[in-house]
Amino acid sequence: MNTTPIISPAGATTISTPDVHRMIGALTRQLHDSLNGLGLTEKVNAWADEIPDAKSRLSYIARLTGEAAEKVLNRVDLAKAQDDYIAAETRRIGALIVKDPVAAVAKGHVMNFLSDVERSTKEIDGHLTEIMMAQDFHDLTGQVIAKVVNLAAAIEEELVRLLVLTAPAHLPAEATPAATADKAAPHGPSLSGPVVNPEGNPDVVKGQSEVDDLLASLGF
Amino acid sequence: MANELRFLVVDDFSTMRRIVRNLLKECGYSEADEAEDGVAALNKLRNSNFDFVVSDINMPNMNGFQLLAEIKKDEKLKHLPVLMVTAEARKEDIVMAAQQGAAGYIVKPFTKATLEDKVTLILTKMGLK
Repeated sequence: MNTTPIISPAGATTISTPDVHRMIGALTRQLHDSLNGLGLTEKVNAWADEIPDAKSRLSYIARLTGEAAEKVLNRVDLAKAQDDYIAAETRRIGALIVKDPVAAVAKGHVMNFLSDVERSTKEIDGHLTEIMMAQDFHDLTGQVIAKVVNLAAAIEEELVRLLVLTAPAHLPAEATPAATADKAAPHGPSLSGPVVNPEGNPDVVKGQSEVDDLLASLGF
Repeated sequence: MANELRFLVVDDFSTMRRIVRNLLKECGYSEADEAEDGVAALNKLRNSNFDFVVSDINMPNMNGFQLLAEIKKDEKLKHLPVLMVTAEARKEDIVMAAQQGAAGYIVKPFTKATLEDKVTLILTKMGLK
């Protein structure tokens, strides 16, 4: 076994590797006993289940914000193209009117231009509506973020409790469980929020058509 | 007549309140106020006249189900149609909303066409359109 001595940062104490292993073993045992003593084992198991779920939720946030950004940029591109078209047409028709106002009207250039403007503005309005709708990610991701924050707060709270109860008596307890308790469950009664992984889950609907079908089957 | 109807949009996210109000305006319903949770909504409903409520479910203080229950047990408010617009996609939530008297249920994310269709359907059923 390697018995290389370890020198502490202060350089005052020398600890051998077997000693370090023994200390880590003792700490692990103390942590294990403390978790059992405080009844936290079940909570730790629950956290182990929830952390992958938190990872899916964070992936969901990344996907939703990415899709929203993509949608906005695509719609801005389309709206700018329409805007450029109107600007170019305005210059062209302006030049025709200056050159020969009667011909510009008689040949239908002005009326065609007005029709184009009306069509383009309607299309731009549609793009603006889609850009506005894309902002709904704020609501959906906000709810998911709240759930992940609640999980982190719950873990933090229990770890602080563990730390306070197992800390040497002479150390001041700067953080207490009460300091973090108020962070949990800001949204009151438990609701599931946005469905992050709807596939293969028969208990949730996957879109508005399924909502309508369900309500219709109930006679609503 | 539809243009004179007054809507109350209830959602804890200001972005969503703004989106719904803008969509209602595009659909011809420009009279709309907003509330950030069920408590604020109930205060506004009891102190002013509204014709239609569009409400989220997952909100602090008083959620959408609690707001719906309060509206339906209030003699002066129970006639109001309540359209739930929510991310809650569990079938049991949808059934519960219908059983509690919700006039409609929309899951987020939704489209302008869906909102317009549901509002029109509800108003038509009520003889208001």
